[in-house]
Amino acid sequence: MISLIINGKEIDLDTPMSVLDAARQAGIKIPTLCHHEVLKPYGGCRLCVVEVERMPKLQNACQLMAADGMVITTESEEISEVRRSILEFLLINHPLDCPYCDKAGECELQDLVNMYGPTVGRYKEEKRKVPGSHKDVILARNMERCVVCTRCVRMCRDIQGASAISMVGRGNRTKMAPFSAESFNCEYCGNCLTVCPVGAILSRLYMHSFRPWQIDEEVDTICSYCGVGCSLSVQMRDDSIKRVVPKIGAGLNRGLLCARGRFGYEYMASSDRLTVPLVKNNGKHEESTWSEAIHIVAERLAEIKSRDGGSAIGGIASARCSNEDNYIFQKFIRMACGSNNIDSLSRIGFAAAQKYFEDLLGQGITANIIDGLKNSEVIFVLGGDPTAINPVLGLSIREAAMNGSKIFTLGYARGLDRFTALQIDVPVFKEADLLEELVVSVFTAKGVRGEKLDVDNGIRIISEKLSGYYDVNGFNEMKNSLLGSSSVSIVFGPDLVQRTDGHRSIFAVAGLTYLLEARLYLLSERPNEQGLIDMGCVPDMLPGGRPVDIHDFRSKFDLLWNGTVPAEDGLTLLEMMESMKRNEIKALYIMGDNPVFNLPDRPLVTEALEALDFLVVQDLYLSETAEMADVVFPATGWTETSGTYTNLERRIQLQKKAVHVTAGMDDWKIISDLSCKMGYHMSYSDAEDIMNEIAEVSPLYRDLSYREISRGNCLWPYHGEPLRGKINELPSIAESEDTYEADFYLAPDKPLFHSGTLSRMSPSLNRISPEPALKMSDEAADKLGLGEGDRVTFSTSLGSGEARVSIDYAIRDNKVLFSNNFRDNGVYGLLNYKMDRITKAPGIEGCEVSIKKMQEH
Amino acid sequence: MLNETALQEIQELKIRYPERESALLPALYIAQREFGWLSNEALLHVANVLNLPEAKVRGTASFYSMFKDKPAGRNIVQLCTNISCMIAGSDGLVNFLQTRYGMKPDETTPDGRFSLILMECIGACGTAPAMLVNTDFHENLTEQNIGEILETYK
Repeated sequence: MISLIINGKEIDLDTPMSVLDAARQAGIKIPTLCHHEVLKPYGGCRLCVVEVERMPKLQNACQLMAADGMVITTESEEISEVRRSILEFLLINHPLDCPYCDKAGECELQDLVNMYGPTVGRYKEEKRKVPGSHKDVILARNMERCVVCTRCVRMCRDIQGASAISMVGRGNRTKMAPFSAESFNCEYCGNCLTVCPVGAILSRLYMHSFRPWQIDEEVDTICSYCGVGCSLSVQMRDDSIKRVVPKIGAGLNRGLLCARGRFGYEYMASSDRLTVPLVKNNGKHEESTWSEAIHIVAERLAEIKSRDGGSAIGGIASARCSNEDNYIFQKFIRMACGSNNIDSLSRIGFAAAQKYFEDLLGQGITANIIDGLKNSEVIFVLGGDPTAINPVLGLSIREAAMNGSKIFTLGYARGLDRFTALQIDVPVFKEADLLEELVVSVFTAKGVRGEKLDVDNGIRIISEKLSGYYDVNGFNEMKNSLLGSSSVSIVFGPDLVQRTDGHRSIFAVAGLTYLLEARLYLLSERPNEQGLIDMGCVPDMLPGGRPVDIHDFRSKFDLLWNGTVPAEDGLTLLEMMESMKRNEIKALYIMGDNPVFNLPDRPLVTEALEALDFLVVQDLYLSETAEMADVVFPATGWTETSGTYTNLERRIQLQKKAVHVTAGMDDWKIISDLSCKMGYHMSYSDAEDIMNEIAEVSPLYRDLSYREISRGNCLWPYHGEPLRGKINELPSIAESEDTYEADFYLAPDKPLFHSGTLSRMSPSLNRISPEPALKMSDEAADKLGLGEGDRVTFSTSLGSGEARVSIDYAIRDNKVLFSNNFRDNGVYGLLNYKMDRITKAPGIEGCEVSIKKMQEH
Repeated sequence: MLNETALQEIQELKIRYPERESALLPALYIAQREFGWLSNEALLHVANVLNLPEAKVRGTASFYSMFKDKPAGRNIVQLCTNISCMIAGSDGLVNFLQTRYGMKPDETTPDGRFSLILMECIGACGTAPAMLVNTDFHENLTEQNIGEILETYK
């Protein structure tokens, strides 16, 4: 133990730390400027100087490690004099433009000068002149105000790992600049904005629109964009969101955010929001009232149910909605409509993979802490770029690499480019072949593990047919690294799920996870993909992952829910589409999703929805799907409603209502009103009330309460018990003998600056990324005679799209990538699919595309 | 684009150090030797060859006065104007260079023959005023001998 005295106060420390941290822990304030708790100590500003007995000079508290017996004084006449002098030097160049600087009121320099002086400057000469830069779409720079603390550069380099900015020049002329010196053209995480102590880096989103002290309400909540669920605070004035700021030190993101989370909040205030229920009359939507719309839906659904049975009704839940919404939704579809046809668009990625992984290895196999990634010796990343799909999770991988871990990638992972030890390249769409050989080679080296006999058996069957070697560069190096490490993490993205034989890759990765005792992370594009599975928004499982086909579970829920849970098997998403086409499912209820745009094969989906007798959509906007609906309900979103979300590591977090609702109704409220109208009674006072019921019925959320969740660190299962895995099916190897010899294949791109169809309602994200890009390798561009920024049209057998060419050096095969974010110009609709027989995910590989240059007008 | 020989030299530098960063300064020297100065394109090229962040390369290059951020003349005249040289008359020499050769600080003469840089101390206080022309050292400068010296640089 270390004992020291600071300002006469005795302090005992259990762990080594700096004098600054020791003082702060004891509630003693030491002023700092270049120090930031997210960053490493730097010792640049010298404002934290303290007197230490028996040490000759003043010492930097941030860099001095506390030692036993130290006697320290943090405030004295001499120290104040030094601090005053430092500040006077800084004010030589720092302009006194506080009256029109946005930072005034929360400026660290302003606060320090207020505390230590000087009150009058002695400097009479010219101040440094640096023209402000307002050319960037998001960040404004005023380098006259820069105090060269280098926090922004250290944040960008050491934490974000982007190294997009640097200090340029020397001495008095030093300033921060991005490479181009104009636009930042970076990852736009805005973390430099968080750490700038003065008004040198400012956000243009709210420039000159308010003063920090005019913020009259701040609500701590979570981000609505991806499956990480970063903590953040929404700051408001007069009930409107002024800005989103991270909560330093809180939540799993420790004060870091990405572009979507920080700058993507404006979608809530979009003028395109739906405000009143719409009812279709003679093919046209007309405004209606809540009671009339609910009456129509209840009547039509009841009519279809009594005529064709409950199985003629289907429901699509949403990974953008909370646990409470999804719980109520599946309860409604099961109990009021009498159908197990419940699924979500998660089926085309996360849910499909999660299900098969859990079948093989047991419930909870993907429940791993994101922060743990940084302690992994070897990280194997495949099936997507974590730094774009789940940016803050990606930071942990970068951190691991910076600390010496080895990163292997299979497939596109541009954001890890500089952090990767080895990128494995395989022939296009042949990843499963490599993974099977890899798992066999690991099995050969390690032998049977004997814990899950079915998995051991499955691997053994594969190993009898394969050699354990795959002829690509780096195969042996990767194999040896994996075998030689006791701490392996595997990060699995959606790309490899969306294959006709996607289950082969999943089985092989499950095998690796099992044999290497690795931690498995499933990338998740939406905030509640895990939660909706836990809530039972899947056709085969009740809340808590309890199988529908087991009578005992059903009868337990019969009692709890006061009715009869349908026994008949439900259909998965793509099976529902087929069933609609065959006119078997006649009514579909969609909560918060847009299958017309987000599912592969738009003509097929459109045909399926057109064949329906009745379609209901509840959403924030009139999406491509809502346009086809018979009734559209306006829902509430992110800051307008409370609810819990379960992130990809299965942390249960609270999203808090922040603003008053001007339009729309909570998703769960619409459905419970409807349910009552249909004769199945639901009565909840608020979302918390629903969580209390969930905690009662779901063995995984047992005893969970909003009070527990608000304290943080509620990890799944909470006081509950998981189920053991039960294997449905094992893959047989090399089912796909397909050869891929076309010139170019179209595949989905998961960009950093957009997320589904939500981000397109955010003007700031649209400014960063205003139009879709067709990403291709430089080789492909050469072959097509195209250059960066050329306009092209491209087409598949299902349709065509338009984009600008973006040459991407991280693409190393003949795939061209296109995103699914811009209205009526997305990738999924253009891809035809074949369903994976085990995971029921769409296999969208091998879609040929032809690309033509357009004439610029 | 860097030619094959220069690329080869940089590739060899990469092997010489345990960290890629360490090869940055010598690689920038090679780029400057090839292009005469370090344009954004040249910096980008070095960044790509060494697989280092562009901004880091720019930050490093901008710190050292030996690296030029704009095209320079055939000969680089670096005249010291710090205290010893100033007392010994370097200000007069600056004026002389401007009137006689049209050289202005931080600028290049229109014929591309000279670029003038006012240097910080080059450690020749005992023989002030002093200057560097390219890599040649000249001391005890006067208006007479500075002209003679510069005549030898075409």
